Amino acid sequence: MEHKALKKNKKKPEKNTKTAAKVTKTSSKSTKKEAPKAPSLITEKFDLQKVEVPSSQGIYKSNKALVYLVGEAPMVEQYAELCIAHGYNVCASWNKPLTEKQNTLSSGIKISSIVPENISVAIELTNIDILSKKKNIERLAKALPETAPILSSSITVTATEQSAWIVGKHRLVGIAALPTFIDKSLVEIAPTIYTPMATLEVVSRFFLTIGKEIEIVQDRIGMVLPRILCQVINEAAFAITEDIAAPDDIDKALTLGMHFPRGPIEWAEQIGLDQVYAVLTALHTDLQEERYSIAAILRQMALTGIWWKQLTTH
Amino acid sequence: MLKHLGIVGAGTMGSGIAQLAALSQIDVQLYDINETILRRSIERIKADLRKMINLGKLPHEEFNAILDRIRTRTSLPDLGHCDCIVESVIEDIRVKKDIFKHLDANTKSNAVLASTTSSLSITSIAALTRNPERVIGLHFFHPINTAALVEVVKGYKTNTDTLDQAIECVKSLGKDPIIVKDTPGFIANRVSLPIFSEALRLLGENVAYAEQIDNIVKKVGGFPTGPFETLDHMGIDSALAEIESLYVQSYGEPRLRPHPILKQMMDSGLLGKKSTKGFFNYEEIK
Repeated sequence: MEHKALKKNKKKPEKNTKTAAKVTKTSSKSTKKEAPKAPSLITEKFDLQKVEVPSSQGIYKSNKALVYLVGEAPMVEQYAELCIAHGYNVCASWNKPLTEKQNTLSSGIKISSIVPENISVAIELTNIDILSKKKNIERLAKALPETAPILSSSITVTATEQSAWIVGKHRLVGIAALPTFIDKSLVEIAPTIYTPMATLEVVSRFFLTIGKEIEIVQDRIGMVLPRILCQVINEAAFAITEDIAAPDDIDKALTLGMHFPRGPIEWAEQIGLDQVYAVLTALHTDLQEERYSIAAILRQMALTGIWWKQLTTH
Repeated sequence: MLKHLGIVGAGTMGSGIAQLAALSQIDVQLYDINETILRRSIERIKADLRKMINLGKLPHEEFNAILDRIRTRTSLPDLGHCDCIVESVIEDIRVKKDIFKHLDANTKSNAVLASTTSSLSITSIAALTRNPERVIGLHFFHPINTAALVEVVKGYKTNTDTLDQAIECVKSLGKDPIIVKDTPGFIANRVSLPIFSEALRLLGENVAYAEQIDNIVKKVGGFPTGPFETLDHMGIDSALAEIESLYVQSYGEPRLRPHPILKQMMDSGLLGKKSTKGFFNYEEIK
């Protein structure tokens, strides 16, 4: 498999940022006999052509680069399918066992809760259960070499906060992950204060190899689109609570009247109300403002299941 | 089936509704304060009809028949026989209230009196009429010829007969009605507001640049335009006035609070496309 972007990645890391320089210095100090840790190791070793996946692990015998995914359904499956389609080997694990309905995995996905050693990129995709997220991140940080970047959904807990959970903070980069978001052509990424340029380079090249462009934004709860979209859905839920219009009519008003690609109710169902609720809760906790209070109906449905299609008004 | 439609205000929206109605075989009485405005409106309608003929969307021979269905008026009592009268003047509550007071006194008692306001309260407009139960909102969307939807806004005292007639009127114009309560921003403007308010907050908090936010909203969200591009297109002053109106009407609901960036831009004369500079620079385009 050709990963041109990563193949090109042989230049020395940029040291024009304070953060990058700091990480290099610290790492060199702690491991005198070894080659410097990130960022230089990342840029040199992260040529996917050089990645060797040991057959002794019994996972894969092919020479493809390996991506490890862990977190919540259906994001893990969606990322897995995409990585496989772009020539990666995928090993995945879920926070909860998949239901029969969810379990329509392609045959190329290896399921294993053991984190393989020689993986190229690890992606943590949990937004709701932060305790599980913390365990996943800690597990990944322990198992992975210092050269492997860890991409982690950072819309309900910032990447910087997540980096406090681990040693080797330079590996962590936040991403805006919600169900179906990876189907789009762009991914929002959020470096932490510890992220060196070299890690960012590898991450951006990884996304390039799976057909995505990136937009680098500040590491804040909700990042950009999840924050905007969840607030739109919240406003729709307030409107339903106040009996202003029927749920179907709200979707109709926004799609036909305001040129939304889909209505907020349909969007909420597609993303999952539990995910929307998790983002809104995190925003409210983080910003401590009344404008981020959550509509009661949204909270109830996130906890008990969706029933707003059964609502009619007037 | 609606036969006689009265329209008060021959601006862009009023002319558009007149054209739609005439195309739908409805007789229109189009009112404005002077002949010049009315002449301009008819010219606009003619130009639009010619475009439709050129595109093959309208047979040439129907051109005159459609125009014949539109009668221009400069006296409000001339609209007295209409089944439904749609007001489409500037978004000023005093002007609208004055017009409804006149319509109330000069129209038949069972006629529907509708306002096309996008941000003012229907209940408040109806308050000065003797029969507030026949006052209703019809919020059309831009561009009026192609936008399929109309919000039918029930005022506090609007009765069922008025609602039914208004729905019939919207259907007669070939549009899809949805019923909404009289609340600040009705439904479409209110629910879409967070796109703009959160985008402004993100910009204010330095989470991302305007270009980045627009790019993300378009490429990940699938929206045809980004929030800052839309604000520039609307005009920063118009956008701020609309959001302020929602905020005031909601008695200071924090979710509807305008962002100071809009005020600063307005004060600086950065009004969007019309001033060649807003969130983006349009000098080259001009």
